Amino acid sequence: MSDTRRPRFDEGRALRSPGLRGWLLLSPLIVWLVLFVVFPTFLTVCASFFRTDAYNSLVFEFTLSNYTRILDPLYLGIIGRSLWLALLTATLCLLVGYPVAYFIGRVSGEWKNILLIAVMLPFWTSFLIRTYAWFQILATKGFLNAALLSLGWISEPLDLQYTSFSVVLGLVYNYLPFAILPIYGSVEKLESELVEAAYDLGADPRRAFTRVVLPLTAPGMVAGFLLVFVPALGMFAITTLMGGGKILMIGNVIQNQFLGMGRNMAFGSALGTMLLAIFLVSMWLIALVRREER
Amino acid sequence: MKKHIFLLIATLSGLVNSAVEIWAQDNQSQNQTLNIYCWTEYIPQSVIDAFTERTGIRVAVANYASNEEMLAKIGAGAGSYDLIQPSDYTLAMLKADGRVEKLDLSKIPNLANIAPEFRGLDFDPNNEYSVPWMAGLVGIVVNVKEVKRPVTGYTDLFKPDLKGRIICVDDPRELVTWALYTLGKDINDISPDALDAASGVLKTWMPLIRAFDSDSPKQAFLNGDVTAGVVWSGEAALLLREDPDTFKWILPSEGTHLFLDNLAIPKGAKNIEAAHRFMNFVLEPQVGKMISEEFPYTNPNLGARKLLDPADLANPASYPSAEEIKKLGMFKPIDGARAAAIDRLITDLRSR
Repeated sequence: MSDTRRPRFDEGRALRSPGLRGWLLLSPLIVWLVLFVVFPTFLTVCASFFRTDAYNSLVFEFTLSNYTRILDPLYLGIIGRSLWLALLTATLCLLVGYPVAYFIGRVSGEWKNILLIAVMLPFWTSFLIRTYAWFQILATKGFLNAALLSLGWISEPLDLQYTSFSVVLGLVYNYLPFAILPIYGSVEKLESELVEAAYDLGADPRRAFTRVVLPLTAPGMVAGFLLVFVPALGMFAITTLMGGGKILMIGNVIQNQFLGMGRNMAFGSALGTMLLAIFLVSMWLIALVRREER
Repeated sequence: MKKHIFLLIATLSGLVNSAVEIWAQDNQSQNQTLNIYCWTEYIPQSVIDAFTERTGIRVAVANYASNEEMLAKIGAGAGSYDLIQPSDYTLAMLKADGRVEKLDLSKIPNLANIAPEFRGLDFDPNNEYSVPWMAGLVGIVVNVKEVKRPVTGYTDLFKPDLKGRIICVDDPRELVTWALYTLGKDINDISPDALDAASGVLKTWMPLIRAFDSDSPKQAFLNGDVTAGVVWSGEAALLLREDPDTFKWILPSEGTHLFLDNLAIPKGAKNIEAAHRFMNFVLEPQVGKMISEEFPYTNPNLGARKLLDPADLANPASYPSAEEIKKLGMFKPIDGARAAAIDRLITDLRSR
């Protein structure tokens, strides 16, 4: 199937060799990527094969023990929980973000810009301030409990802060824009003639949505899902702050190995390398599935 | 096309040139900049400003949140710091490995202001390597308007009626230490047997704890999320200052430990002279008062104590009695394997 597509690719302008000017234009990006992505990743992978001393400095003796240690049920359990929390976060972000993105993508010009700015507005303040603001809302003596009490819906304040609920809320809140923006990109490109054509051919709204709109916006959904899932998997600040340090994610364990009592950056690096492997495999699987679909 | 490339190269080389210049300037002025690597929220900005005003020496500050974080950085030889702020047992480690400079005590005459009980402690018997910054301890705070029954120590704090109402500092070694105290064991014996015993105690405590927070545990008290907890004495002192009728400070009957944070000069420091001047400066009574007002830990500076508000001096969390201080233990250094064993135990208990 893919064979019939390939010739078309070759005809396109995309494969023209970039030339000197192209490379020069690209060079800032390449330098940036090499310095701040490729090189640190390389160091992390290297560090994962060494030991550390009492100061948590690397001792250059080759070992695989950091990887065998990951197999400890304790860490496997935490990895499992992190995967579950990241999946839950990404799914909730898609469910909440899709209608929002669809609405923004379909609304007329001026409103579109206002709504897009509203989506990005939270980024104008620091992550920590936004997260601490939730403390004031969720606390026992916070706004939400005060409102529910005065409405008479509850008679005792609810325990909202430092729970699994507050952790998931914090994760979804922080990552929602990353889901909305790529879906919006897909929705905006969606031509309304295609939906109209579906109606003309006898599809009801539900069928038009599942057979036309959804497949055409799928790339945005995949991108949005990954943009939430990947950072959520390594998150540690929200579990520490909103979860009161009671719900550990793999990011917390890694942080402890580098900066805390764990004093073992080699083991932390091995965990980081494993996360990287999980990302690469899941990206590859997604690419595989999408190629099948074509 | 060629012209464009030439322009680009010219611009780039211009950029590189100015970057090199800035770097060279920076290197030059390094002689007048004191680089301090210290705990977050521990050296008031007002003290740093006053030092610069007095001496003309600029101060650059970098922060860490745990002794381990600082050890990792100093151990890796990263950063060129002139002053660090290690706690007692951490200083002992750095000293044993020759990673701190010997002080020239003739340049720090204000060391005489420090109370005798905080000078020449085990980790640095002659204060050859460090001068005290602030001391503190860990103890229990109870909101007496919510908790009507008496609380005297860890054992009767961690009782089911307070489930979900307790906050603790986020520090694995602290948790193990409290458990060892309730068992009547040596807090510096981190053997597998001792950890096993501690684990049994901690298993019953963990489900009762609402949250761990080392940064600002007092916030959870003020928000009404918790009614009791085990926190740093400086945080407790702030709560007592805010509402002395609601919050009560309790020194755990089973025991607790004293910590003393210090200033020291790491090996390889470029600005040893300025570091000495800073040490002597912060030991002045007036400067010590500024530190106490912002961070009400136990000020070891007797001259500063004389200048403090009597209400602050009477704050039991900041100033335990001499008799109480005598009963306090202190942390000794532990090696990487023991630290890792503590880390694994607490990670395990938390992820149940």
